[in-house]
Parts: sequence; structure tokens; C-alpha cells
Amino acid sequence: MAVEIPKRMYKGNIRPITLGVGDKAVTVGGETSLPFYLFEGERPNPPRIAMEIWDMEPEDWPEHALEPFKDVIHDPALWAKKCVEDYGAEMICMQMIGTDPNDKDIPADQAADTVLKVLDAIDGTPLIIWGTASHEKDTEVLKLICEKTHGKNLSIGPVEEGDHKAIGGSIIAYEHTCVSSSPIDINLAKQMNILLGTLGVSDEKILIDPTTGGLGYGIEYSYSVMERLMLAALTQEDERLQFPMINNMAKEVWKSKEAKITPEEDPLMGDPKKRAITIECVTALLLLLGGSDILVMRHPESIKYIREIISDFMAAN
Amino acid sequence: MGYKVRFEPAGREMELAPDETILQGAMSAGVHINASCGGSGTCGKCKVKIIKGETTVPPMPMLQAWEVKEGYRLACMTKPLTDIVVEIPVESQIDSSVLRRERAGFAKVLSPQDIHQLVGGWTIDPTVFKRYLELPPATKEDNMSDLARIYRALKQEYGFDRVSTDFRAIKKMSKLLRDADWKVTVTMVLTRRGHKLVNIEPGDTVEKNYSIVVDIGTTTVFGQLLNLHECQVFGCPGFDVDGAERYTLAVASDYNPQISYGEDVISRIVYALKPGGLERLQEVVVRSINKIITELLKMANVERKYVSHMVIAGNTTMTQLFLGMNPRYIREDPYVPTANFLPPVRAIHAGIELGDHVHIYMFPMVASYLGGDIVSGVLGSGIFQRDDLTLYMDIGTNGEIVLGNKDWMMSASCSAGPAFEGGGIKFGMRATRGAIEQVRISPDTYEPMIMTIGRARAKGICGSGLIYMVAELLETGIIDQSGKFMHTLSTNRVRKGEDGYEYVLSWAGENAIGQDITLTEIDIDNLIRAKGAIYAGCKVLLNQADMTFNDLDRLIVAGGFGHYIDLEAAKIIGLLPDIPEEKFMFVGNGSLLGARLLSFSKDLLKEAERIANMMTNIELSNFPSFMDEYVAAMFLPHTDETAFPNIMKIIKAEKAA
Repeated sequence: MAVEIPKRMYKGNIRPITLGVGDKAVTVGGETSLPFYLFEGERPNPPRIAMEIWDMEPEDWPEHALEPFKDVIHDPALWAKKCVEDYGAEMICMQMIGTDPNDKDIPADQAADTVLKVLDAIDGTPLIIWGTASHEKDTEVLKLICEKTHGKNLSIGPVEEGDHKAIGGSIIAYEHTCVSSSPIDINLAKQMNILLGTLGVSDEKILIDPTTGGLGYGIEYSYSVMERLMLAALTQEDERLQFPMINNMAKEVWKSKEAKITPEEDPLMGDPKKRAITIECVTALLLLLGGSDILVMRHPESIKYIREIISDFMAAN
Repeated sequence: MGYKVRFEPAGREMELAPDETILQGAMSAGVHINASCGGSGTCGKCKVKIIKGETTVPPMPMLQAWEVKEGYRLACMTKPLTDIVVEIPVESQIDSSVLRRERAGFAKVLSPQDIHQLVGGWTIDPTVFKRYLELPPATKEDNMSDLARIYRALKQEYGFDRVSTDFRAIKKMSKLLRDADWKVTVTMVLTRRGHKLVNIEPGDTVEKNYSIVVDIGTTTVFGQLLNLHECQVFGCPGFDVDGAERYTLAVASDYNPQISYGEDVISRIVYALKPGGLERLQEVVVRSINKIITELLKMANVERKYVSHMVIAGNTTMTQLFLGMNPRYIREDPYVPTANFLPPVRAIHAGIELGDHVHIYMFPMVASYLGGDIVSGVLGSGIFQRDDLTLYMDIGTNGEIVLGNKDWMMSASCSAGPAFEGGGIKFGMRATRGAIEQVRISPDTYEPMIMTIGRARAKGICGSGLIYMVAELLETGIIDQSGKFMHTLSTNRVRKGEDGYEYVLSWAGENAIGQDITLTEIDIDNLIRAKGAIYAGCKVLLNQADMTFNDLDRLIVAGGFGHYIDLEAAKIIGLLPDIPEEKFMFVGNGSLLGARLLSFSKDLLKEAERIANMMTNIELSNFPSFMDEYVAAMFLPHTDETAFPNIMKIIKAEKAA
């Protein structure tokens, strides 16, 4: 006798949000069920992977992370171009690490120039700009970037409670999308979105960054808050939480000791490249299961695996 | 019966009680009139013109003689004598959109007469009472001892059997009886073992029998003087206790001086464990209670020797510190107090400066973090007698909450911090003369309209003023729902001060302290934390009983943050739930309420013990959901807007206007 699997009906759904403009614009969200529960609902837009680039040459990346980008890593525009052309990136996430006031402190105008060059190089591929979470500097840098890229519908983040008024204002004025960031708490995530709404950010222009921990570094917290966000959005119809989620995971994964350690330092840890890619893949997989709509990833090989997994999951049923 | 007041050009009408000023009327009618001196008649900003009807003509040095002649008055000082029509001049109002919603005032503070409504089934029968005796002098024939003579008279006159006597009374008895020509008054106490004679005085002093009740709060100490003979809170006729005519009880309060050694109970306990710490904490609180007693006696013009009873309610830590009992184990797992039921303690042994016959009764306690103050509140508010499902909230430094009715009770306490008592607020103060207690802000000009306790020049902001203030800031869009100031408003009232953004309530030249009185973002943060903790505590407690705010029949609010609390403002900031107005009741200081009852009726002593025994205390820190509820409540009014449907409607309507 056939077993009928009970189906749950969800009252709410995640809003579809379009990032970028033109032919290559990407729409994320729109799901009407829990992640990949395609037997209960629809997922019109698969989760997307944004490939990560930095605004400066990274100094602390392990050899195996640098290797695929060796020839372009000195130039963010070339780097971005390679991601798109060689690795088929559908989105680029540019980390403004160099603007960190505690590090290189690259001035805002210089940072904005780099962004413009990158935009030029990627020919319409949607771009995510990720600041340093230093409220003062981000306000300066992100505001200028918004202004210089008017109408390109970049995704600008992290927009936090402490700087949302300044950055949010520019995001509205220059027609970009807002990455609403809060520290691993469903209530704080909702409060941020209410505040953005009050400020005038349209509901078509919000992504949620629930704050991401890497594997072994708090991913369980990220996972459970993402699950709660999904449930609140779908089952409680909490309209201030019905936005797609983005996980800026690459830098969390790759800064861990386990992703960097060499065989000389600890032979028991095995092949470093395989290890780091595995960690990145497992992190990505968990976040997908938690409900992520955009993953920011680093290594082309991990990205390849995760793309396959996504297409398998989307093909099931 | 009051007078009709019509405000022009707004065209709003309202009824004003005869002793209320035009400014008070405007405040409750939602008509904006600029006012910045708190109603003391010194700023001259609330100038209005009486175009019809008669009013009082107070001295108004701020106005020119011709202005007075033409009917101009200061709204804060003028009361109507007939129905009147008031015109608000252009300086005071901008356009009709200044008109705000009328505010439903919260239920009044309970007066002593209301006690009977809250708690029924008890008779006036104080534990400590006096009886007048006229004894036959000792003769050769009737030569029984002095004491036996008194016993005989007590039995013959009043039917008291098996009376015991305190040795101190016996010691002074012989001479006193003869000097007083055998006419004396004895003070009797009912103990577990029967009546005890504790004092003897010459002549008839039966009518002079007073009790002092004290609430030792973590932040504030309150005291009241009661007249046990007439069983009422001692009134001070003609004595303007607090500058305000309506405030005529003999009540005195002061900050708990232990604050200097730590703001919360935990830091006090830590201090008490240092060498000499416990003695120091005891000494300072006893000194402040003595000061309050002296003040009360002076206010009411009562002689110290006629005080014969004292009741103290306080949280467990405060009670133990007052008595010099080591509080260490309150703070250490498994968190047990020394005793929930304490025997009466002789006042002089605790360092209290009252007659040596006076005993102090401590309210029984429930647990380490649920003390006699809350038992007292439950007793005083009558929850223990009713079928109605009641939530009792005592809003203080420790927010204590009790849910239940006559059959069952659950309780919890949550650390709210001292914000509601003015602590941790830059210009915070207790609810005394000069404290800003009511505020309205014009949504057009962002100018405030403030009223102070005692209608004196402003000195600071008390808890009720703070609630009002934050609600107004939110409604007028000066702050957002996370309590942060908007930076782009065209007003000099919002500015960046040394502690970040702030709103100037009163300029230096207009108030009593000579510097700008402001409310800072940090103050608002502290208030949001405090209200968040209390709301979250209530939510978790209700969840435990599988109930919601909507299941409540009654919600009793207690707290010493002001004379009254604006119900709507308290809902707007999310301190109180969005449930119908008629379910709320505000009892002021609930702890004193119960302490008064205990002074008046010995039967209620047993009830207090029963209440303490029947309460089931839950420890909020054991509930992971508490943290979640807390974060959700740290928003104005709340992250879950569906829990505040009516309030959200108001906020959204104001925004749209």
C-alpha cells in the first residue's frame, strides 16, 4: 500500500528580490516552503552563489586558496572578470576589506573607483558590496559607492542598526538593495527590517544577513536562527521576515585555523586543499539546508560541488 | 461638577474639575500649548486669552497689565470659575494639526478609603492597640500588686484574660500609676501566645496611637504614618506636603543610601560580604529610615512616643540587610534566604529610633528573589480573595510579577534596573516636587509642554515623566522604534550632546537646576531594557500557565515611579500590554498598601502568611525563552507588532498625519 506523505501548507512565502539590472540580473527568493521541501511548495529561484573578491590583495590566504587566482589577485577588476569568465560566476561579492580603518584604511573615493572598475569588468553581473562593519567608515565608503553606481541595483551591506539611517538613505536614493544585518537573533533581524521599512527602504529591496558562523565556529547558531526565520516567514506570515537570506560565509570558513594549517604544522590533518574545500562545502550545504538564498563562496572547486548539489536538490521531485 | 472649557481655534471641548488649571485641561484634551517651566508660572509661554467666561486671576508677573486686562492668562496658573472659551494665541500653537488625541488618564492612585474595595472581609482590629484604664487606688483592703490591679481591670473592663507584660513596662509602672492618679493607658499587642502589655502611659492617650509603615526598595525607601486609632493614613490638613494640593498623605521617601555601594541586590550582597560591609549597609539604611520617620512625624505633628507599631516590607535582600543578617546564600546556588518568616523585632534592636516597646513586623517572604514587598502587594491588592485571573506587576528595580487568583498564584522576578525610579537616567529623579511627570510634544514644532509635580520649576524627570516622554518622542517621530533619534529634524531640541543624541526638555534658563534638562539616547536605552525585562517576565510567566495577556481579567500595576502613570503612554512604549483599559488598575506603592492593611488588621497577618505559602515562584533565568522574549521586547512597542494592534494603529496614524 502506498504511503501518503502528509503535506504542510504554508501561509506565507519569501519575497522574490531581483538583484542587479539588465539581462544578467538575478532573482532570488520566492520560495513557498521550507528549504528544498519541493513536495510541499515551490522554489521558483534556486539558491545562488556569489563569488568572493577582495578590494586588495589578500595577505593571509593559504596557498591553495590563492592558487586559482594567482594571475589576477593583484587587481580586483581582473579577479572579478576571471570569476565571471572562467568560473561562470552569476554574482560577485566584493569585500571591502582594504577600507578597514584598523587595517589599510583605503579612502572612500579610492574604494569607489575600484568598485567602478570591477563593475566595468564584469559586464552586468550583479555585484554585492560588503563593508567592514565599522559604522563610521562604512557610512563613508558605502554612501559614496551608492552614489557613484546610481541605478545599478548593487546589494549593499552590512547595514546594521548603528548605521542604517545613513547608509539606508543612500541605498534608497541611488536605487540599490539593502543587506539588513543583525547578530544571530530573530528578533533583532525583524527589528532591523522594521527600522528599514520606517526609513523608506522598499520591501523589494531587502536581503537578510542573519550573520554567518563557519563550520566549527558557531554554524549551529546561524543554522537555528535561519530555520526560525524561515518558519516565522512561512508559518507565522511574519511579513517583516519574508526576505531572502544571504550568507557571507567564505571569509568565516577560510579564516579558521583548520582551513589554513599546513601538513608540516600538523601531518595528521591530511591534505590541506581537500580539507579546506570540504569545510567550505559542508558549511555551504548546512546554510542551504537552513534556507540560504545567496552563498558567498571562495574556492572554484567548492563552488562546483555546491552547484551540483543545488541542481540535484532542485531536480528532486 | 466641573466647568466646560472650549479651546479655540482647535474647537475642542472638555470638562475641567474646578481645581484644575487650563494647562492641565489642555494636556488631557490633547491641545498643545507651549509650556516649559512645568506649570510654575515662570516661563510665560503658556499665555492664552480668555474670550468668554470667568477665571481666577493669579499673580502673573510675566504678563503686562494691559494683557491681563484684555483677558490674557497663563494657562498653568489659571482656573475657570465658569464655563469658558480659551483662545490659544499664535505663539502657542501652529495650526489645527497640533491637536492631539485625547488621552485617557489612568486609574487614580488608590486613596486609603479604596482599601475596602480591594480587600474585603476584614475588620479593623489592629495588632497593636491602646486601652484606657481608671484603676481604683491601692488600699489596705484592696492591696493586690500594681500589675495584678491592671490585669484585673483589663479583664473586668475589656475581657482580656491571661495577659503577659513586658518587663520594661513593669519597671516604670509603680511611680507612673501614682503620678497619673491611677488613670493610665496601656498599649497591648496580640502575640501568638495571647495579649501582651508592652507600654503604659499616663492619662488617656488611646487616640494617639500611630503606626509607621516602610517599604525598603532597592532604589527608594518609602514611609507612611498611619493613625491606628482611626485606621487611616494620616492626613495633614492644610499641610502642603509635596507642593501639590492633591497629595496630602503623610508620605516621605528617599533614595536608599545603599545605592552608593551597588545599584542592584547582587552588588549589595557582594559588598555586604566585605569586612564591615554588612554593618555599613545596615547602618546607612537604618539612618535613612530614621530620617524618614522624623520627617513623617514632623509633617503630621505627631510625637515620637505615640508611635507604637511598625511594619516593614522589602525584598528579601533588603530585609536581611536591614536586620544585619548575612545575605550571602541568597546569591549562591541553590539561592535560599535565611528565613521566610521572621519574628517581630524590637525597633531599638534594629537601631530604629522609636520607643523601646515598639516592635517591627516584617512581611513574610517567598524566596530569595521574591520578598515581603510583593507579598504585601498581593495582600493589599486583594488578589488572594478573588476569582478573577489577575496579573500583578510591581514595577521597580526588581520587576516582580504575580499571576493568579484566590486558588493559585505564580510569581517571578526580573531585574529591570532603576530607570523607573529615575536611576541610570541622566536627569532622572524620584517622583517629588519639581519632577517632570507629564509631557506633550508638538508634532510640528517639536516644542514640549511639560508639567511637574508640585507645578514647580523642573529639576529632572521621574519615572512617569519618562514613560510619557518616550511615548511622545516615538509618536511624534523624533525617535524610531529602536529608541534612536532621527537626525534630520528641523528643531534645536534634538542635538548631539556629550552622551550622544538627546532631546532638550527644558532650557537652562527655564528650570531650577540652571542647566539644560535633556533625555539622552542612553536614557531611552535604559528605559527600553527595563520595560523589556518586565514585559518579557510577564510573558514567560503567562506562558508557564499556558495563558496570554488576553486571558487576564485584571492587571494591577504597582510602582513608586510617580503619582500616576499614563496608561496609553505605558502601552505605547510596550511596558504594559495592549489590552482594554478597564482591566487596568494602578495602586501606587503596592508594598505600602499591604503594610497599611497589616497595621490595621491582625487577621491579615495570617493571610499574609498564607499568601507567602501559596505562591509558586519560577526562576526566569531557568527559562531559555526569557532571553528570547527579552530581545523581542526591546523595541517600541515590541518586535511583535501583532501583540500591540491598537497601539500600532495609533503610531501609524500619527505618522501619517
